[in-house]
Amino acid sequence: MAVRAEPVYPVPWYRGRFTSWITTVDHKRIGILYLVTCLVFFGAGGILAVLMRTQLAQTNEKFLSAEHYNELMTVHGLTMVFLVIVPILAGFGNFMVPLMIGAKDVAFPRLNALSYWLFLFAGVVLYASFFATGGAAQTGWTLYPPLSEQYAGNGVDLAILALHILTVSSLVGAINFIVTIHRMRAPGMTWMRVPLFVWSIDVYAWILVIVLPALSAGLTLLLLDRQAGTHFFQPNEGGNALLFQHVFWFFGHPEVYVMILPVMGIISEIIPVFSRKPIFGYTAVAFSTVAIGFYSLLVWAHHMFTVGLATPLLGFFMISSMIIAVPTGIKILNWLATTWRGNLIFETPMLFALGFIALFTIGGLSGIFLATFPVDWQAQDSYFVVAHLHYVLFGGSMFGIFGGLYYWWPKMFGRKLDETLGKWHFWLLFIGFNLTFFPQHLLGLAGMPRRIYTYSRGGWETDNMISTIGSYVMGAAILVFVVNVIWTRRRAGVRAGNDPWLGDTLEWYTTSPPPPHNFEKVPYVTSARPLRDLRKRLETRRA
Amino acid sequence: MPTPVRRKLIFACLSLSALALVLSGTALAGAGRGIPPADSPNAGGIQDLYVVVLIVTGIIFVIVEGALLLFIFRFRGGGRARAAEGPQIRGHTRLELIWTAIPALILAGIIAVVFFKLPGIQDVPDAGAAGPKMTVQVEGRQFYWRYTYPNGAVSINQLVVPAQRPIALVITAPDFDVIHSWWVPQLAGKMDAIPGKTNHTWFEADHEGIYQGQCAEFCGIQHAMMLTQVRAVSNAEYESWVARQLKVSADIGHMTFLGACAPCHGMQGQGIIGPALKGNATLANPQQLRTLLAHGKRKMPPVGEGWTPQEINSLIAYLKQEFVSGG
Repeated sequence: MAVRAEPVYPVPWYRGRFTSWITTVDHKRIGILYLVTCLVFFGAGGILAVLMRTQLAQTNEKFLSAEHYNELMTVHGLTMVFLVIVPILAGFGNFMVPLMIGAKDVAFPRLNALSYWLFLFAGVVLYASFFATGGAAQTGWTLYPPLSEQYAGNGVDLAILALHILTVSSLVGAINFIVTIHRMRAPGMTWMRVPLFVWSIDVYAWILVIVLPALSAGLTLLLLDRQAGTHFFQPNEGGNALLFQHVFWFFGHPEVYVMILPVMGIISEIIPVFSRKPIFGYTAVAFSTVAIGFYSLLVWAHHMFTVGLATPLLGFFMISSMIIAVPTGIKILNWLATTWRGNLIFETPMLFALGFIALFTIGGLSGIFLATFPVDWQAQDSYFVVAHLHYVLFGGSMFGIFGGLYYWWPKMFGRKLDETLGKWHFWLLFIGFNLTFFPQHLLGLAGMPRRIYTYSRGGWETDNMISTIGSYVMGAAILVFVVNVIWTRRRAGVRAGNDPWLGDTLEWYTTSPPPPHNFEKVPYVTSARPLRDLRKRLETRRA
Repeated sequence: MPTPVRRKLIFACLSLSALALVLSGTALAGAGRGIPPADSPNAGGIQDLYVVVLIVTGIIFVIVEGALLLFIFRFRGGGRARAAEGPQIRGHTRLELIWTAIPALILAGIIAVVFFKLPGIQDVPDAGAAGPKMTVQVEGRQFYWRYTYPNGAVSINQLVVPAQRPIALVITAPDFDVIHSWWVPQLAGKMDAIPGKTNHTWFEADHEGIYQGQCAEFCGIQHAMMLTQVRAVSNAEYESWVARQLKVSADIGHMTFLGACAPCHGMQGQGIIGPALKGNATLANPQQLRTLLAHGKRKMPPVGEGWTPQEINSLIAYLKQEFVSGG
């Protein structure tokens, strides 16, 4: 009798090792694409930053020319805001939101893929602008006219194009998150049982939907001025140079909260799990997120305290900015209270979460100096602002993002990142970060403006040198992280199992990594901690 | 992992974090050294506000970071099983209301202090110890500052004023230029120079001396070179200086060269972003040079647009002496 041959199933072209990633509409794979792409851009933006710090290490340094420094400064800012922090949070949201609410995917999987590919394309456009005539934009990430309308090359046009594409990408992604969260939650998951990370992604998405059109409009007017001969922002033709600043910051300040709220959501997931306690004041944390989102729409002109606003406006924007500090403070105190009397486990995700609290607190407090508008008249556009925004966006957002990566890595890839390397990563980054950015407060107060490619005052040299050395330590920390990822990918990491941290939320109910459809079935949700409920039910049944 | 090792690790982590926080704490305390001495009543008012905010935020910093460190130390797991849970406390309404209300009150306090100190910072006094208020027009241009005095005299980058007299600054930028920001930290907070908009600020130098400052709003390629300086002198010295400033002279030409030309063409005219000046044909042709200054060319902004004949003649004379006649 003839041996029956194994049937050969031809693998269709779209299921190949490589092509399946290009054609995927699975929220988990798209989430991983986002995370990987953003980390690559993070590396690129980081290299730009280290180059700039090298140029600033000493007085009258000649390492970079003025043109090159100004290009790097512009692209570094645009990269970190638009190609790293905002989309990496979309990446976390993509992977985690459907899992955390017990859904099989997002509401519009194909739109989701569109949103990722547009984002990647925009990133390529921005980096390609280095090769345009006249090089990349040399305007700072804020693209203020009339300066941005003066440059003859195409760098600014390409930056505008990249941002236009990103706006579409973000808008599509945000609508997808909103529909998913509002319509696809597991049975029993009422709003007061929604994980705090999902709350924060919902507010993130709503803010984006509200403010992105303002950015699009502002950029379109800028492009028309540059290319179609209009004069919206040109005072010599009757335009108004300040109009762009109002439009930009109406988008730009809420954008800051877009970059921090989901990170606060990640922190609100990590701290309880590694304290072995529920979050202290769930309702307060959830509603402070909504409150911050709402007030973020009313504070934009605190970026414009030196443009000569009328005193009542100065007062209004100072008061509204101060009001935002209240819900922010509530969150910090709630996280602290969560650790109180806990069983604190200092694994890497928790180290980054605690580091977030330590550093974000400093960033929040330096924000009070800036909201006090007479003090801002000294601090505005100085290195004090550079220090402040990095304490919020690096000490805050990036520390929380690294915490989230260590926390959810086992769910995404089935293996934990290495703990020892993780601790090295954290401590090097924590020390390097403070070395880099703390002295910048003092530089700003001593009169050093931001966005200068060189300086000649000897009194500024020591703090600048410390800052540069710190940036190299941070670079080393990021290399440790890269080694850790490669190490873990080589299957050296510990197999994680479904629920390595004894988590609270539904993503730990399924396998690691989860199957394409996420869940066979989802347990009925009776509280904000369905997984703990399940464990307790099993314990009672066994007893 | 055996418990002693973990203990050691935690101890190391804790001592390191304590170290980092102590360091940043002392640095924060040292922030007092960071802010330059205020030598004008409005800068002094701002400094008072800065100190108020520093004290309030310093106390909050110590409380929050202290509690964080204390809790990290006090509630460390120390090798307890992961399944061992802390007390399942879900919140405490009264406590949460208290820690919502207290920050709100503190912030309201800061706001009140701001409005209390504001008139002393914002309002220009009519006279100082050495005489009445004086108004100077300030123009921010790529990449220099142009000061116009009450008698019509002009100076570039260096603002000469009598000490102990209130100096009201009327700040703007030409319509065709970009946004700059005037900032001399020891004398006043910054104020933007915006094309098509007129802004106001003031200062009153407490004593004679030189105060450094520079443009604080990114304004293009040589933003970093857009420095300024305030020289406060006695009334008599000011009067004789400002009278001299009205005449055509090589000194004025030199000052104009240093402020308006040198950032791009180099201190010795050797050329950086702009071409070298030595032997440059345009310099030998005053008519061409006038057109170039007034209209700019390619990358060169119209630096000399709106200059007085005295400024232009002084500069042309200086350039001719330095770069044409072999000087």
